[in-house]
Order: sequence, then structure tokens, then C-alpha cells
Amino acid sequence: MEDYKFLFKVVLVGNAGVGKTCLVRRFTQGLFPPGQGATIGVDFMIKTVEVDGEKVKLQIWDTAGQERFRSITQSYYRSAHALILVYDISCQPTFDCLPDWLREIEEYANNKVLRILVGNKTDREDREIPRHIGEDFAQRHGMYFLETSAKEAENVERLFMEIAVELMEQAKCKELPKYDGSLGPINGKTTSVGDSGCCLRS
Amino acid sequence: MSFVKCCFESGEGHDFLDSFVQKCTDPGCCCGCCSALRPRYKRLVDNIFPASPQDGLVKSNMEKLTFYSLSSPEKLDRIGEYLFQKASRDIYRRRHGFVIIAMEAMDQLLLACHSQTLNLFVESFLKMVQKLLESTDPQLQILATQSFVRFANIEEDTPSYHRRYDFFVSKFSAMCHSNHSDAATRDKIRLAGIQGLQGVIRKTVSDDLVENIWEAQHMDKIVPSLLYNMQTAEKYETVSCMETDTRDGAEESPPRLAEACLRELVGRASFGHIRSVLRPVLTHFDRHELWVPNDFAVHTFKIIMFSIQAQYSYSVVEALMQHLDAAGPGASDPRSRTRVRAARAAVLSNIVAIAAGDSVGPSVLEIINNLLTNLRASVARDSEKETDEKLYQEALINALGEFADHLPDFQKIDIMMFIISKVPSSQRGKSTKADAMLQTILLKSLLKVGTTYKTTELSKAFPAAFLEALLRVSGASEPGTRALLQRILHTLLDRHSNAPLLHTPTVDYAELGLTVEKCSRQDLIFVSKHGYAIFSSLYDGLQLESNTLENVEAIYTTLALLCIELASEETVCDILQLILAVQQSALSNPVLSVAGQCQLQAVVVSLTALLPHVMPLMKLDDYIRKIIDSRSSEAPHLLPPLRREYPQLAPADMPSSLPYLMIDQMAVCECLKASGVESARLQAASPYAGGATLSLAHRHSWVEAGAAQGRDSLADITAGPVLEPDSANSSPGVQRHPMQAESVSLEALRRAAGGPTEAEKREAERRKATLNNAFRTAPFQHLREITQPKYEIKDKLEEIFNSISEEPLLPASGSCSPGGQTKSYQQHVPAYTKYFPELFLY
Ligand SMILES: Nc1nc2c(ncn2[C@@H]2O[C@H](COP(=O)(O)OP(=O)(O)OP(=O)(O)O)[C@@H](O)[C@H]2O)c(=O)[nH]1
Ligand SMILES: [Mg+2]
Repeated sequence: MEDYKFLFKVVLVGNAGVGKTCLVRRFTQGLFPPGQGATIGVDFMIKTVEVDGEKVKLQIWDTAGQERFRSITQSYYRSAHALILVYDISCQPTFDCLPDWLREIEEYANNKVLRILVGNKTDREDREIPRHIGEDFAQRHGMYFLETSAKEAENVERLFMEIAVELMEQAKCKELPKYDGSLGPINGKTTSVGDSGCCLRS
Repeated sequence: MSFVKCCFESGEGHDFLDSFVQKCTDPGCCCGCCSALRPRYKRLVDNIFPASPQDGLVKSNMEKLTFYSLSSPEKLDRIGEYLFQKASRDIYRRRHGFVIIAMEAMDQLLLACHSQTLNLFVESFLKMVQKLLESTDPQLQILATQSFVRFANIEEDTPSYHRRYDFFVSKFSAMCHSNHSDAATRDKIRLAGIQGLQGVIRKTVSDDLVENIWEAQHMDKIVPSLLYNMQTAEKYETVSCMETDTRDGAEESPPRLAEACLRELVGRASFGHIRSVLRPVLTHFDRHELWVPNDFAVHTFKIIMFSIQAQYSYSVVEALMQHLDAAGPGASDPRSRTRVRAARAAVLSNIVAIAAGDSVGPSVLEIINNLLTNLRASVARDSEKETDEKLYQEALINALGEFADHLPDFQKIDIMMFIISKVPSSQRGKSTKADAMLQTILLKSLLKVGTTYKTTELSKAFPAAFLEALLRVSGASEPGTRALLQRILHTLLDRHSNAPLLHTPTVDYAELGLTVEKCSRQDLIFVSKHGYAIFSSLYDGLQLESNTLENVEAIYTTLALLCIELASEETVCDILQLILAVQQSALSNPVLSVAGQCQLQAVVVSLTALLPHVMPLMKLDDYIRKIIDSRSSEAPHLLPPLRREYPQLAPADMPSSLPYLMIDQMAVCECLKASGVESARLQAASPYAGGATLSLAHRHSWVEAGAAQGRDSLADITAGPVLEPDSANSSPGVQRHPMQAESVSLEALRRAAGGPTEAEKREAERRKATLNNAFRTAPFQHLREITQPKYEIKDKLEEIFNSISEEPLLPASGSCSPGGQTKSYQQHVPAYTKYFPELFLY
């Protein structure tokens, strides 16, 4: 039912295979998809959650990690309220790429976007990135940090709920960036009919 | 089960209560069980739903609802909102049958609405579409898209300016990339995505106020989505126009529909928007590494060229050219980078012709200039072994040729002048290897353009400045460059396709099947103005120590073509005068090897033998036949075919020892007289000689000049460091390098002199004088007329020349020593003053 009070756009980015799609499916559908194929371009999911008794609709854009889709995925950063940057704790290269991702985010996303660093696949035995390394990195770059396992459903719900809470707080304090016309349409008012975006529905 | 259904199915009351208590939070949504109290519009809406979704929309009730909404349009927004609420609930409960019915009802209402009232309804309609698109069910997504497309096709009188399509663009683009596990479903979702994008484009493109679809945030999604679908086609068939496309099933195949959509998008783009489309196209090709192989790129760019509004087509060429050198993802590997560059250039050469027809004035030169700049950059980084770099250069040259081929002839001349103005001059001072390479490449480009030009009048093919520049390059130090230049002359001179027949000297013309036409008055005027400059440059060209067989044969071809193209009694003397001068030089020029001497003698006899084939000169024919016969028995080495090496000649066989086998000037005069040709000019002194004819500087034409000159100047040809013909009979070994001790070749002398040749100076002087005179005496109006039409293009040229003379030809960091290069440029008069003296006279 269309009685949500907030609409937030969340975009997931990160190297191919780190588990972005699994995180989204775990959260929206409550399952861990076996044999999840690589995402092509961009995928879209929606989920409405409740924060403090208020309905919050999360529009989740799950992007492909593969290089060749980089240009189309970048075009989705711009309207994001929150960006989830995912790496695989059992795969050093996915962590090493984080600075590159941050550069892209810097370039294409709104500078006030909420940024969350996520180390996924905590269920794996062969961890390569210790927790504190990820934490440090996040702190240094002003990001929230969380470790998750899409497989074991660990911290997945929490990840999205905290985003919803944080964004709602920002919205209520009117801290959420005021995207003026010159920046183009970013908030709900200017995106599409029916979106009320981050703003309170009247 | 649902709130809605309770009105019909009392047996499910508990379900209803359940949902009511939990979900019905809308205070306006009155209880279903007291339907009498419900507003009329709600009852009407409720009634369109059947008891079971399989039964479909209740048609009669739908008519009632439609009628009601038409008579009370102020209720439309509430009807829409109510339908939307019901559908939302049904989606939540996965009762898709009812969702489909609700959507169908909304479609019908939308179409029934009058345009003034449409806006009231549209908001809930689009909310409904979005709601369906948000579901994970492909069927609902596809249904929603169809509704959206229907809406997009409605023309609204007063579009709503606050309506935004961001979500739709985002979602439809995502659908274009569907990765559904079932291939058929995947294709359906992708098709829906493309249709949706098409709908958004149609809805917004005509009115920038609604939503600027051309903004990067939209184009960066739309364009790659279309290309991604196009590139999945099994094969790429490029047709120029979709309407005439007879292939079936465009509606069922994502690649075909995506192509149609791209065509529509490009076709609607105005000038300011082209770039917004092209930028993501180029990025997509980079990202998806679609340049090598480049068949898809060619396909796509052709489609763009075919569908773009003609007047903008050059901006596609421009964008691609600017992208030639852009770094792709694999830029770190120089080899693959070169390969990508070559592939891009090949795409360029495939589309450039499509643009040429529509390009005008400065944009043409912009394109040419850009191509040349890229060539220059390529030469600067060229390393000997890089075959890919060579491929790249060839692709660029091809692009130039393709482009020029489709331009009107007058522009081809402008372009050729432009190209030759960029050829670095190397006859003075030492030229670097890079110079020589650039020279060759630019001349190849020139040749390419030249071959597309159809000469009618020589004066049009050779405007004075162009001719002068060509002749200047004809003295280049590189034999290869000189040969190339002759080939350019061939293609411009040869109006009757004789050139291939005259590739090598011969004395048997009868069976060649030459095409000869009497030359026109305009040609005669041309030759009287410029003949001397041309002939004297060809004469000079034959005197060079560094000549190879190719050089000599190429000049022969040029001369033979001139004989044919200028065949007339007025010119025959001039030609014979030149032939005789060449014969004389073959005997007296000390830098020529024995082989060189023999080659020239063969050229001389070949050219003379040609003349009776272009004009009725029976006697001359008899005479030359006799010489040929004698030579073939006594001195076959003085006849064609030309050879690279000649066997060691006995002193008695040296050309200089065989004066009776030479063509005699007096005899030729007699032959001409016998055929009724005025031969007085032939008896006059030859004007061909290094610095001997300075006094002629201000003569009006070389013909007069020749006539006025005393016969004694013939000796001047042999003036300077020269062997007495008689003393040439020493040992052949010495003969080969007769001047080794003193070692001052004509060529070296000329190089040392460092200025333009006398002939050039003279010509320039003369032309300046004529021009000055013209500008002094002609009425102003007339001057305006002759300068006006080309003004714009010259302006542009001047601007470009300016930039050229400012920047060194090659970057100073280039691999090949740029020092001498830059200097030689500074020494030069700025190119534009040279080429367009007219510009600086007023
Ligand atoms: N052990 C474990 N495996 C996971 C977890 N999350 C994802 N995977 C596996 O990692 C692989 C990639 O997961 P995806 O969700 O497709 O990765 P992605 O980030 O969406 O990749 P792209 O779509 O190509 O960008 C799959 O084989 C998953 O089964 C996790 O939490 N634990
Ligand atoms: Mg994925």
C-alpha cells in the first residue's frame, strides 16, 4: 500500500562477485540465491520497512561490478541517498579497489550522500581482511562500517535498517541535502510522480 | 480476501475485517459493508471488477464508469487514486488478475479523458505504472510498460511541468539489461524496457520544459541500454532507413527495436543535443571494448549518420575524430591503444563519406584539419616497426579520400591546397626523417583527394597558388616524395584516362589506344600563363642526381600527359623546345650517371614520337622513325624501355659520341614547317637553364620570354661545371662520377643557394605584378566580386595557417630531432602570405 512517508534511494557498488546481489536478495526476499549470476547493468528492488512506526520505502539499485558496465552504473550514483560500497573480506583485491571506488563516488555521486562500507561474506573461513582494517578504512574516509554475511543473514537486515534510520533522521532534521534545481532532480519531488522522496508525505 | 472483494463476497467477511483493521488507514475509504454510504465513484469503480479475475473487466460497468468520469471530470483524480489504492492492495496480496484489470481500466479512462482534464488523472495513472514496475513480476512490469507507452503516445495540450521521468528512465534502462534466467522472459523484459525508453523519449523530447531528456543523467542510461541490446544481434545489417526496412519482426527482437529507438533518438536530436548522445556512445564502445573488431562500431555509427539530421552530420565525424586518440580502458598497453586508434579511424573512414555531402565551408576544413593533425601526431610517434601505426595512418588517409570524394570539386581544390600547404618543405636545408615521412603521408593524402577530383579545365584544377606549391614540392630531396608528386600531377592532368597507358616510356603509341582531344582556349591561356613554370620544374626534375628510374618514368608520364592534354599547334613548339633541352642536358649535365643519360635520351625519343600521335605531324613522324630505327640497330640503349642499369658502354656507344642519333633542332623545325606549323619559337633560345635567364624576370609569359632570348643562351645550359661533350670518352668508371674532385652538383648548388629557384622567383614576381596591377586598375566593385565568394573559406584557412605557423610541426619532445624543423619553419614566410597574396593586398 502506498502509505510510506519516506522514499530513499540506495545504490550498491563494489567489485564483481563481492555479493551485492545476494545482500539485496537476502534483504528484500529473505533468501540466499544459489548460483547467483553476475548482474548485467543495473537491477532494481524495492522494500518498505518501518522505522519508529513510520513506513520507509527503500528503492534499491543493485549495480553490476564488471568494468564494462561502469559507465551506466555510474549514472545511477547521482540520485542516490545512500551508497553501499561492498567488498569481500575473503578477497584482498576487492578491498584494494576501494580507493578507486571512492574516486568514482566522489566524481559521480552527490557529495552529501550517505556512504556505508560493507565487508561481506563473514561466514567464510578464509578471511583476508581483518575487521579492524576495514573499520580503519571506513573511519578514514568518513564512512559507516558493517560486516555482513548474505549467506548467514548476518547483519543484512541491520545494514538496511540503519540506513533507513539514519536517512530518516537526516530528513527530519532537514539535514538531508537540499538538492536545488541546478543540480537536477534528485529528491522525490522532482524524480517521478508518486515519489515523495525523502520528504514527509502530506 | 481483499477489502474490495468484501462487497461481493460476504462469505469472506473475516478476511475483509482482517484487512480492514490492519490496512485500511485511509479515513476517506469508507467501510465496504455499508455500500450505500459510499461515494458514487467508488461504487462505480468497485463494479468494474468481476467476481473472479478470469472473467476480466466487466465491460458494461466500465462503460458506466467512463461515462461518469466524462460527465464529472472533477472526480477523475479521485477515481484514479481509488483505482491505484485497490491495485496496490492487490499487488501486495499477489492477486495479479485484479491488478491487470485495474490497469486496463486506467488505460481506458486515460484514453477517454479529454485533454483538458487529462492532468487530473495522469498522476495516479503514472503512480500505478510505477507501482507495477516496482514489482518483481515480469508480467506486471511488461503490462505497466505497455500502459506507459500508450500514455506516451497521447499528445497533451498542456504538459505538466512538474512531472518527472527519472524513475522511468532508470527502471526501463535496468529492464533493458534484464538477466532473467528464462531467455524468452528476458527478451520480453528487455523489449519492454526499450519500448518504455522509447515512450519516455517521445513524451519528453518535443518539449524541453517537461524534462530535459538530453541531460547526461538520462542519456548515460538510455544510450548504453540501447547499444547493449543492439550489440547482442547475431549479425549487423545496416540499412540506411528504417522505414524501408523490409526485415520482419522488428517488434519482437530487442536488437532491432533498440536500433529503431536509437534512430528515433538521434533523428530528434538538435544540434545542441548531438553531443549528449555521442558521448555515451563513445564511452560505451570504450568500456565494452567494441572497437576491435569494429564491425559493430561501423554498424552503429552508420546508423547514427543515416538518422541524424543532415545538417549536423559533421558533428558526428568531429566527435569521432576528437575521440581517435582518447584513452580507453586498455590504454596502458601502447600496442592495443594503437590498434584501437586504427579501428576508430577505420570507423571514421566508413562514415565520413556520409557526412561529406552535407558539410559546408569551415566545417569541411575543420574535418580535414583534424584528420591532418591526427596524421601529424601519428607520424610524430611512429616507430619504424609499428604496423598498427601504419594501419592507422592508412585509415586516416582513406578517411580523407572518402570524405573528399563526396565533396563538390571546387572544395576538393581548396582541400588539396590546404593539404599541400602543410607539407613540410625539404628542398632547402637538411630534412629530418620525420619530415620526409610526413611529406610522404601528406602527399599520399593529397593523391587520394586528387584521384577523386575530375579535371575539366586545367586552370580550375591548378589555381596559381596550388600549382606553385606543387611545383615547389616537386624539387623535394626525397626521390620517393618527388615520384609521389608526379603521380598527383598525373591524376590531375589526365582527363582522358591515358595515364595507365603511359606508365613507362615507349615509342609505339599506335596500339596503345590513346584518347586525344584538341585542347580548349582556356587550356591555352592556362599554358601560356603557367606552362613555363611547369615545364621548367619538370626539366629541373630530370636533372637530379638522386633520381631513380621511377622518378624519370614518372616525369615522362607527366610530360606525355601534357603533350596529350595540351595538344595544339600553339604549344607544340614549347613542348619540343623542352624535349630538345632535355636531350641537351642528357649530354651535358655532369651529375647524371651513364644510366641517367641513357634514360633521358630514351625519354626524349619517346616524347618526340608521341607528338605525331596527338597532332598531324607526318614529317616529324618520319623523322623520328628514322632516328628510332637507327638507334635500334646502333644504340638500343638510347631507346625505351628504361633500365635501372645499363651494361658497360664502350666510349663509342656513349650518347655524346653519337651526335647523328640525336634529334636535330633544325631538322625538327623543317618537319614542323612542312606540316604548316610556325616554328620560329623553336629556333629561339631555350629558356631552360639554371640561373641563365634572370633577365626574363618581368616578361609576361615564358613563351615570349623564350622567343626574345638569343640563341646563345643554349650554351648556358652547359655553363658552369661541365664536361666538354667530347672529353666524355674516357673510362666509364670515371665517367660515372665525372665531377668527383670538384663535386659540386647542380643539386648541391641549388641547395646551397637556399632560396626559391630563379624560375620560382620570376613567376612570383610576375604574378605579383599582374595582381598588383589588377588591384590598382580594376574597379572596386569588381575586386569585391572576385574576392568575395571565397572569402569565408579563406578566412578559415588563414586562421588555420596562423595556428600552424605558430606551433612547431612536431612536438619538441618528438622522437625525431625537431631542431632543424622548427628553424626551417621560422625561415619561411608565413604560409598564408605565400598562398594568398591576394589577401594582403587590400
Ligand atoms: N560464502 C558466502 N558467499 C557469498 C556471500 N554473498 C555472496 N556470495 C557468493 O558470491 C558470489 C557472487 O555473489 P553476487 O551477489 O552475485 O555478487 P555481486 O556483487 O552481485 O556480483 P556482480 O553482480 O557481478 O557485481 C556468489 O557465488 C554468491 O553465492 C556470503 O555472504 N557468503
Ligand atoms: Mg550482482
